[in-house]
Amino acid sequence: MQSLSSPSPTVSEGLARAADALQIMQNSGELAPVVTISEAVSPNIPPALFGAGGPMLKKFDVESTMTSRKGSTAPTPPPAVKGIGKKVAKPDYSESKIVVAMVGLPARGKSYLSNKLMIYLNWLEYDVTVFNVGQLRRSKARQKAQQLGIKEDHTASFFSHENVEATQSRDSLAQESLETLIQWLKDGGNVGIHDATNSTRSRRAKIEARIAQEKGMSLIFLESICDDPAVIAANVALKVSQGDPDYKDMSREDAKRDFLRRIKEYEKIYETITEPHLSYVRIVNVGEEVTLSRIHGYLSSRIAYYLMNLHIKPRSIYLSRHGESQYNVEGKIGGDSLLSPRGMQYAKALPALVTESVGDQTLTVWTSTLKRTIQTAQYLPYTKLTWKSLDELDAGVCDGMTYEEIEKQYPDDFANRDDDKFNYRYRGGESYRDVVIRLEPVIMELERQENILIVGHQAILRCLYAYFHSFPQADLPYIKIPLHTVIKLTPRAYGCDEARFALPIEAVDTHRPKPGTADKPSESSNTTQRKYFAEHEQPRMHAPVPKKDI
Amino acid sequence: MVAPLYTTASGLLFHAGKILVITVGLPARGKTHISRALERYLRWMGVKTIVVSLGDYRRKLLGSGQQLPPDYFTLGEKSEETLKLRQMVSDGCEKMIWDFFETGQVVIYDANNGTRQARHRVAEKFDKAGIHVIMLESLCDNKEIIEANIRGVKISSPDYRGWDQDKAVQDYYRRIEDHEKYYEPVEENTWPSIRILNVGEKIMVYKIVGYLQSRIVFFLMNIHNRQRTIYFARSGQSLIEHSYKADSDLSPAGWEYAERLKEFVVERRAKSLEQRGLSPDDRKLVIWTSTRRRAYHTAWPFLYDVLPPNSPASFQTTHPLASSTLPEGENTLPPPPSNPSKSYTPALNVKVIEKPQMAEINPGIWDGLSPDQARKYYPQDWERFVRDPYSFRAPRAESYHDLSVRVEPILIELEREQEDLLIIGHASVIRCMLAYLIGLPASEIPAIEIARGDLLEVVPASYGVHSQAFHFWDGPGRHGDEANNISTRDENNFYENYAEDTKGKKFTTTQEPAASLSVIEAV
Repeated sequence: MQSLSSPSPTVSEGLARAADALQIMQNSGELAPVVTISEAVSPNIPPALFGAGGPMLKKFDVESTMTSRKGSTAPTPPPAVKGIGKKVAKPDYSESKIVVAMVGLPARGKSYLSNKLMIYLNWLEYDVTVFNVGQLRRSKARQKAQQLGIKEDHTASFFSHENVEATQSRDSLAQESLETLIQWLKDGGNVGIHDATNSTRSRRAKIEARIAQEKGMSLIFLESICDDPAVIAANVALKVSQGDPDYKDMSREDAKRDFLRRIKEYEKIYETITEPHLSYVRIVNVGEEVTLSRIHGYLSSRIAYYLMNLHIKPRSIYLSRHGESQYNVEGKIGGDSLLSPRGMQYAKALPALVTESVGDQTLTVWTSTLKRTIQTAQYLPYTKLTWKSLDELDAGVCDGMTYEEIEKQYPDDFANRDDDKFNYRYRGGESYRDVVIRLEPVIMELERQENILIVGHQAILRCLYAYFHSFPQADLPYIKIPLHTVIKLTPRAYGCDEARFALPIEAVDTHRPKPGTADKPSESSNTTQRKYFAEHEQPRMHAPVPKKDI
Repeated sequence: MVAPLYTTASGLLFHAGKILVITVGLPARGKTHISRALERYLRWMGVKTIVVSLGDYRRKLLGSGQQLPPDYFTLGEKSEETLKLRQMVSDGCEKMIWDFFETGQVVIYDANNGTRQARHRVAEKFDKAGIHVIMLESLCDNKEIIEANIRGVKISSPDYRGWDQDKAVQDYYRRIEDHEKYYEPVEENTWPSIRILNVGEKIMVYKIVGYLQSRIVFFLMNIHNRQRTIYFARSGQSLIEHSYKADSDLSPAGWEYAERLKEFVVERRAKSLEQRGLSPDDRKLVIWTSTRRRAYHTAWPFLYDVLPPNSPASFQTTHPLASSTLPEGENTLPPPPSNPSKSYTPALNVKVIEKPQMAEINPGIWDGLSPDQARKYYPQDWERFVRDPYSFRAPRAESYHDLSVRVEPILIELEREQEDLLIIGHASVIRCMLAYLIGLPASEIPAIEIARGDLLEVVPASYGVHSQAFHFWDGPGRHGDEANNISTRDENNFYENYAEDTKGKKFTTTQEPAASLSVIEAV
């Protein structure tokens, strides 16, 4: 390699050429028309130098490609930059292989926690599956009943540790479920949640020994303790009323009595985690008290922190886009324009709507730092916080253009983005994935907060909405968040209730459906029901996917 | 200045109120280490924080331990004189705390507070004034950690000036012994508490609520004391330095820089690992870059072998195909070539991760403008920017404050990372990260000088960090050579390079890589 104390002749030459190319473009006046036009409109708007709307970017890409490579001796140089964006592959999460084994008596919110955890990690694109032993038991029993005509007794006595045969049967079910989980991790999963009571030391020791045989897998126990009788009673009521197949043929009263007996059976042998060598998170009364032991590794600490921030106080989250903006009217994306007259009407009408729904509870309003959201929130009589992280997806070089302009200037790129919108990153801007990563601290804070109204932007609210309804990434960029509509989400045990309030103020429709697909509504169905999979073959519980074909 | 996650119309920050963190623990349990780390983190986030150290105050007020009455450190019956002195010390500390709360937000009261009665008395007083009290207990049952702490920190304190080492250690153990008899761990569940065993091995959290409080817990969850090194280097020069939007390719000099960087890091790291008795094969090198082309392309040579010197130029043969043979979306760097016969250098034990949070500061409407143009089109904004470059946010742009908030999750990851780390980043981002590691006030962040061609080496130590800078490259894109009045950097890239115009705080560089290694910051 040549001396690097001073640049080699070829290098300086290359650099000089690149600089020249720039200079020539600046001098040749290709820039000038843009300047003149802008100045004619407003002396304070400078040229958008490297925007995709002007000629500079294309020209520069052509000129600079050769130049850039001159300094590199790499046999496999990366492709040169061109166009207005590209698809970006998902980061490699294949090293993350974690078994989260739940510990806790029935009705202590284990399934609630595992479901929340799954939704959160799925949103961050980790592959997560809950392996619920109860579901497996029910599906097996159903098979048995169908094929052999034997109806197993799954009332409380089945869960008594004195019932030797049933205990063995339950042990082998847990074992089988764990094996399925391990295989699934080997096949590429990231986090497998073993949703069972795992209530004794010996059971936990068995799991520990089994996972220790697998290279690259780590194990965390997640214990949920609850000694608040009101919470337990609510959990029991939920279990009994939400159609648990175990209680299909029982009256509610009988079901409740049997379920309480089942809990008693578990209580007799329950041992809380004290094993000092295990890696665990113990949560008392959803967040009141948390113990973390031997939590190492990036993903494990994320999981622990997330669980620490959860609470179950009743509250609602309100989502609203800003009122119609001048850019919306002109069909332009991005920018920092003010509201249109109709948008202002919305801002004025918003307080009455929100106040009526919130009543005398407290509410905090979050806006982005862009003018249109601050303007929309200006009349709301609540505390307002401004988040830079809530700013709209940065369209980079395409900021301030209309879709038609983009399509005309860069037809290939435009088609590319439509092809895979979630993964597409605008040049000098962001992809939906980048936005999800940016919003992660917002989600964490949302989990800790109570009533919140977010006045945000289309792409931002799509990402947040997708979290609350666990939409898959591919569908996320097509979620409909219309203008002049308030969406009220009320978290429940297994999802969110949703209400939409559309104000009768007209606005443009900024939704672009995926080309080539019928424009189907993408509002989520009610997802607050716990999903019991006993009626299906798969004893697993995936994220409740509302509709696959959106 | 302040970097909260969000701001309010009134300019109030964090609705967490005022917080008093009372440390609890026997001597030599790492209370001070944890207190200082927490102080550094909170200050970086913009929270007005101080550590009030009872030990330091006592030494300031009464001189070193040798001048104290013999029963000062023993518990139990005490002479009137001792009681009076002790009262004076704790009153003095409490007064400092009250004074700080006039304008400040978080006080970490670094003292033993080993009995329930002692800590309860303090907690109650401040609780009555509406201040949130948290007990932060540091427990340690690992003898090695305790001994290391005594030898490394305690006996070098002024209390033991002039003592024989082993004698000092013995004396210190005696002091601890007395405390142990009366020590009551935080099990009373009267106050919200965080209890840490063996520097993070186990953490018990009781009734911690609130934004800042939960950030404190998350931070404490992530700190560790494994020795590692963090390297920082700027990305190579790109074709259009002054446009954020264009996201342009590296310039020829940038490519050259990237290759030289790889060579130098490999060389420097081998040396520093050797000093620690390790081989580069033992420890992985994790590389973080941003998702900007100039940054992740600078990491390219770490993953792809470079042709040996004087080999026939590969450029002509590979270039015409380059853009067509590689798949679109090459953003995630593919693994190094699998065919070993084509390798010229041994495969490195590296992992490259691209982080979108690490993109350089966004210049917003000033993208692509020269300073003259910026002044012309936005005279008022320009003026405010020059006056306060840390907190001023130009339209659509990010302030350094915004950038700090964006980078915060990365800092937590940085604390957690146990392997050696190379951060190939942008000057603005490196400034924020260094300010955090070194503990510089936020207002100084924009003026930290990070020259292209320097490799910064930062080694976290128990009371701060040791850092050194190695100059390994000169060429286009490096900051101006003041001595000879030559400027080779891009004048137009003023937003990212603001510091270099201020002649502000300079991150001193050693002239020759291997020569006199100056320790710039040893807190």
